[in-house]
Order: sequence, then structure tokens, then C-alpha cells
Amino acid sequence: MSIRPVLQIPASVLVSPAAAVGRVDDAARALAQDLLDTMAASPACVGLAAPQIGVGLRAFAVDVTGHRKARSCHGAFVLFDPKVVVEGPAEVAREGCMSVPDLTGDVARATQLTVSGIGPDGEPCSLRVDAFEARAVLHELDHLDGLVFLDRVAGPHALFPRKVYR
Amino acid sequence: MLVAWSAVSRYSLSAVGRDRPGIVAAVTGALADHGCNLQDSTMATLQGQFAMVLIVSAPDDVDSAAIEADLDTVAQRLDLVVALRALHEDGAPSSSAPGGASDPGTSGSAWMIAVHGADRPGIVHAITAALADAGGNIVDLATHLVGPPSDPVYTLAIRATLPRGSTDRSLDPLLQAADAFGVHCTVHSDDADVL
Repeated sequence: MSIRPVLQIPASVLVSPAAAVGRVDDAARALAQDLLDTMAASPACVGLAAPQIGVGLRAFAVDVTGHRKARSCHGAFVLFDPKVVVEGPAEVAREGCMSVPDLTGDVARATQLTVSGIGPDGEPCSLRVDAFEARAVLHELDHLDGLVFLDRVAGPHALFPRKVYR
Repeated sequence: MLVAWSAVSRYSLSAVGRDRPGIVAAVTGALADHGCNLQDSTMATLQGQFAMVLIVSAPDDVDSAAIEADLDTVAQRLDLVVALRALHEDGAPSSSAPGGASDPGTSGSAWMIAVHGADRPGIVHAITAALADAGGNIVDLATHLVGPPSDPVYTLAIRATLPRGSTDRSLDPLLQAADAFGVHCTVHSDDADVL
């Protein structure tokens, strides 16, 4: 386990589609722990995708515990090779990203969905998430497709300066 | 400088200067004193410079020289560059020939274009030239230079309209232009759902 540096654009791994993890082995479990450790060590961070720590694999961690905008909350979890089925309407809300310096942006995201993947124990896992947890999942899923929120922003004037988290 | 004030009732007004409290109040005050009505407007602060663009309507019997004099007074007091221009009914400046009736910003299909990558000169020109070649018309555009000075990142966001019948393939030249600059570009439809 270790806390890894978080990359920022224009790092190529952040704008490239990530590869499938496939079998969950020791390396995948170590990646899961690194995601959780790095997320926990980063102020105000509610999600982290493997490309953000320089690993081009389809894995992410989410933890919206205690966030005022959260309704569903599954605590800290990691999924490999996630897939999403959208089940609810989209809402526009402001979001930022550790990999995009200085800016936040208004992005429309679905508010209800089921995300399925493989857990670090190698077992299939399916979670129904909504509200802020759904936004976090979709934000991280975008990272696995080589997208950041700048690629989803609602309009040219929907980008704003980001406050600094310490 | 006012151009051909007589026989028109709409104007474009721009004002730019170092940001400070009271700019909007002073400029709009000079207009309100003469019965002018603000229509569309947009304002922005860019690295400490404040910019405003307004479309203004005015009574036909307005004393144009008096408005100009009052705007000049405001411009000198606040160190602004102010430009006022009379418009034809179709939106063209009165000093140019009348154009077509359609507004290129509201016809055709709407698209959002996002570009980001390492900063280097020419990104905006390359992308917008490719967009113009595709028949696109920019409705809204914003850029930001962010990140550490040692490794700056440039972001460009464009809302544009394309001629009817255009598809995302119509914007492929933008992706190629972005590739040539080593920056990342995504495009997606931005047409509104009418409910």
C-alpha cells in the first residue's frame, strides 16, 4: 500500500482509454489499495481512477462518506472493469478534479444508476447509487474512457475558478 | 466613436478597462440618464481586465451627442476604452451593407467542443479555422490558462452551430487539427430537448 502522486492533464494516460483489468491478481489488489490510500490522503477527494495515478487500467475508488450532497453511500469501495446502467434523469452540478488544475465546471450527470464490476476480492459486485455517489461514479468512469470533466462541461462559460483544498 | 446614429434605435456598446468597483453602474447610468434600454449583455473579468458588451435600444429622439459626451466622461474617469456602434435592424453595423435575415448563431445544429492540453501558441486559431472551414459559427467561447507556470495547461470550450445536416463527422477536421497540436479534443451535440 502506498500513496501515489496524482497526475494532471495533459498527461497522456489521462486522455487515453484504459485497458480492462480482467483477472484480479495481487497486482490488481495492490492497485485497489493504492487507490484507497491515495484517495484517503487527498483532502476533499471522493473518488480516484487508476489513470490518475498513472495506471492505464479500468479501476476506480469512490467514497462519499459524510458528504453533504450524498444520499446513497456505500462507503469506500473499488471496482474493476465497471459498467453502468443509467436509471434516472440527469442533473447539472458543479464538480472539480484533482487532475484538472484550478478549475471547476458544471456538468450534467445521471442521478440514478447501477454500477457493476469486479471487487478486489475477485467477486462480481453491483451497486445502486444515486445523487452525489452517482456523480462520483460517472466522473471516475469517464477517466477510464480518457475523459475529464472539461470534455463534459455544460458550456464555455460553465467553468469557474476552483478553491484550494488544504 | 458613434457611427451614423440617426434613424436607428439599437446599438452595440463595448467597454474594457482595468477592473474596479463601479464600472457597470457608471456606464449603465450614462445610458439610463438618456432613456436607453439594455437588451442583451455579457460581462467578464479576465486577469484583472473587465470587459462588457451590451446591445442597447434608445428612443428615436435621443440626443446622441449628449450620450456620447456622458460616456466619454465615464470612460475618462474610469480609464475605459468605450465603443458605441449603431446597428441596422438585422444586427449589422450601420456602416456596412445589410446582410441576410437569418442569425447564424441560432440556425443549424448546436455543438459543444472541448479542447485541452499543454499550452502553445496557435491552438485557438487552428481549431476555429477548422471549425470555420466546416461551416461552423461560434456562439460562445471561453479559454483558460491554468496549472503551474512551469507546466501550463490551456483549455478551450466552444459552443457552435453547424449547417443543417451536419454530423459529428463534420467536425473530424477539428480532431485532426487538435492531434497536430498534441492537444485533446472532444465534440458532442448540444441541441436542446424541446419539452
